[in-house]
Amino acid sequence: MAVDMSYYLLLSAAVFCTGVFGVLTRRNALVFLMSVELMLNAANINLVAFAWHYGNLTGQVFALFTLAVAAAEVAVGIGIILVLYRNFDDVDVTEATTMRW
Amino acid sequence: MAGVFDLTPAIAALPFASFVIALVVGYTAPRLLPKGGAIPGIIATGVSLALSAWLAVTVAGGETYNETLYTWIPTDGAAVEFSLGVLIDPLSALMLVIVSLIAFLVHVFSLGYMNDEGETGLPRYYAGLGLFSASMLAFVFASNLLMAFMFFELVGLCSYLLIGFWFRDPGPASAAKKAFLVTRFGDYFFLVGVVATVATFGTTRFLGTEAAPGFPHLAEQVLAGEATVTTFLGLGAEAWFAVIGLLILGGVIGKSAQFPLHTWLPDAMEGPTPVSALIHAATMVAAGVYLVARIYGFYALLPTVLAVIAFVGGFTALFAASMAVVKREIKQVLAYSTISQYGYIMLGLGAGGYVAGTFHLLTHAVFKALLFLGAGSVIIAMHHDEDMWKMGGLKDKLPVTYYTFLAGSLALAGIVPFAGFWSKDEVLYEALAHGLGNSPLLLGAYAMGLVAVFFTGFYTFRMVALTFHGEPRTDTAESPHGVGWAVKAPLVVLGVLATTVGLLNMTPVAKLTGAHIEYLHEWLSGPAATELTSVHHYANPDTGLLHDFAGYAVGTAGLGETTLALAGAAVSLALALAGAGLAWRLYAVPDPAEHTDRLGSAKTVLYNNYYQDEYQVWLAEHVTVPLARVADKFDQGVIDGVVNGVSSVSLFVGSRARRIQNAVVTDNAALLTLGLVALLAALGIAGGWF
Repeated sequence: MAVDMSYYLLLSAAVFCTGVFGVLTRRNALVFLMSVELMLNAANINLVAFAWHYGNLTGQVFALFTLAVAAAEVAVGIGIILVLYRNFDDVDVTEATTMRW
Repeated sequence: MAGVFDLTPAIAALPFASFVIALVVGYTAPRLLPKGGAIPGIIATGVSLALSAWLAVTVAGGETYNETLYTWIPTDGAAVEFSLGVLIDPLSALMLVIVSLIAFLVHVFSLGYMNDEGETGLPRYYAGLGLFSASMLAFVFASNLLMAFMFFELVGLCSYLLIGFWFRDPGPASAAKKAFLVTRFGDYFFLVGVVATVATFGTTRFLGTEAAPGFPHLAEQVLAGEATVTTFLGLGAEAWFAVIGLLILGGVIGKSAQFPLHTWLPDAMEGPTPVSALIHAATMVAAGVYLVARIYGFYALLPTVLAVIAFVGGFTALFAASMAVVKREIKQVLAYSTISQYGYIMLGLGAGGYVAGTFHLLTHAVFKALLFLGAGSVIIAMHHDEDMWKMGGLKDKLPVTYYTFLAGSLALAGIVPFAGFWSKDEVLYEALAHGLGNSPLLLGAYAMGLVAVFFTGFYTFRMVALTFHGEPRTDTAESPHGVGWAVKAPLVVLGVLATTVGLLNMTPVAKLTGAHIEYLHEWLSGPAATELTSVHHYANPDTGLLHDFAGYAVGTAGLGETTLALAGAAVSLALALAGAGLAWRLYAVPDPAEHTDRLGSAKTVLYNNYYQDEYQVWLAEHVTVPLARVADKFDQGVIDGVVNGVSSVSLFVGSRARRIQNAVVTDNAALLTLGLVALLAALGIAGGWF
């Protein structure tokens, strides 16, 4: 059963927009991280879908790399959140506004 | 024999090395430097002297040298090549010998004048002397106008450093500044002249090759209609060349202390006396007139400029000599006499007497260095008091100084057979003969030069009489300080030269007897390779540049050349003797009185040097300062205003725009997203998606 390419793209766009929405509206840093994961995975869907479409494994391999990068990013992100919590007693991103002009 | 020519740069490099040694060792390890740096300087200038003499011998053997050593900006791509090179022809070889000889003697003399007197800061002094010698020697053998200009500026810098040697006193410090500024004023014109030369001829070489001639020869070809060059300001070739010639002459007038830029030289006497001898009498001041001689092939094409040179020279000769008459300090008399004597050299060159001018340059360098060193010896003896009215009767106490000084004075006054007589007489003869020929204007310059002869005799023997004759007028003069061998030896060498160097070119005798004894004339005729810078090319009566372009011809007023030469010599000798005799009668008495009151109101004018300083200061204060103020207003208001306005706009915009960066991550992300969307939209519109 072959699913039409446009469905994958629509799904990917929907997931990506969900991620962007999360980043723009939520204040909790953990939700931020999750939203970023969503956006990364939206990209992954695209990679895998096109790889399948063209019968080429490169996209799939690339998706694996993206996963590894996402894992590393989460590790760094969690570290930042820990420091944020220590300094501001909160993980609300709108509180940490000392790094401006 | 290419060997010695390859060593030419060493003539300048050695004194430069002594400068470096004096500076580096003198300030890091003064104990390693005996005599405060004098020894390296003496060795360096001594070797330079030997090399110069060797060069002169080689040139006498008929060889010359004209090479580019280092190309600074090569021709490929650029229209003009800038390079450093060496030009050794009879003129530069002769000048190298003079400069290195005097530099050597002055270094030796400094042992007696500076070291024995316990001066401090000697490494600085010898470093200055070394750098000066190096720059001056390099200036002399420079092969193009730009290189000459660079070293011209360097000698000016050294002059500034050495005049201001005792910079803790206000006098020397301000004299140094004055010398620097006044000569810089002239050099400014010189620089514009160099640029004009480059723009016009595309080369600044003094002497080129057949394919690429130097600029004087190129100018000659242009005026003869054999070549063309670009001229500016809508002037024809001859008028434009005259402009270039006058611009370069600006530098000459500043450096050689000609009217009206002579005011710095008397003040420069604030420097140590050996420096005055080396820089402000014998060599650096000679740089200006040497430059005229160096590019004589260019000036000889321009009758207008030659007339200006002759008139400036004649006027300066008279003007400075009249001021020297009333001076009280021995060095001031010598300073004004230096200005006056350089006036004679200019007169000689302007009147078409290339050999005469060069000859007077040579003899003057010798006898004026001698007089300054003699004055230095007197000043040591007088415990650094320079007032001649406090001296008197030093004749018996300083016999060596007296006799050598007398030889120098006789040479300066132009008494036969001392050096100055022959050269000054030749200068005057050239002016007279060419004046009687086709250029009656020169007769005016000749008349001024002739009157100056009387004043020269007068002030010279007033100085000798007041210093050495009569009764001692102070206790110091009663029992003067002795002087050592380092003072006496250079005096003796120069004294012998001042007596004999005039025999090089005894034109009147040659004319009378028909003997070929005009050695300098033959020397400057030179070998065929440098034909274009030879006196033959310049002044041949039938085919020389002066004849073809400047229209100079020898006129004799129906007397014949020999009679005219002898008559001229007799008149100038008579005037010199009259001046000297008058001074002798007035001042060589046991107890001389000041006779300046007899001058009446002229006395005040002379004491104030014709108010030259006053009017120049007035010009500076009432013309230059307001002008500078307007320029400053324009700079601060308009130029800086625009710059500040632009920057304040961007500062304001920045201070508003940075509010966007409020450190809220959400807002940053929103901006990022909006930016991406905007970018996509823009790309889409540009790419025609919609």
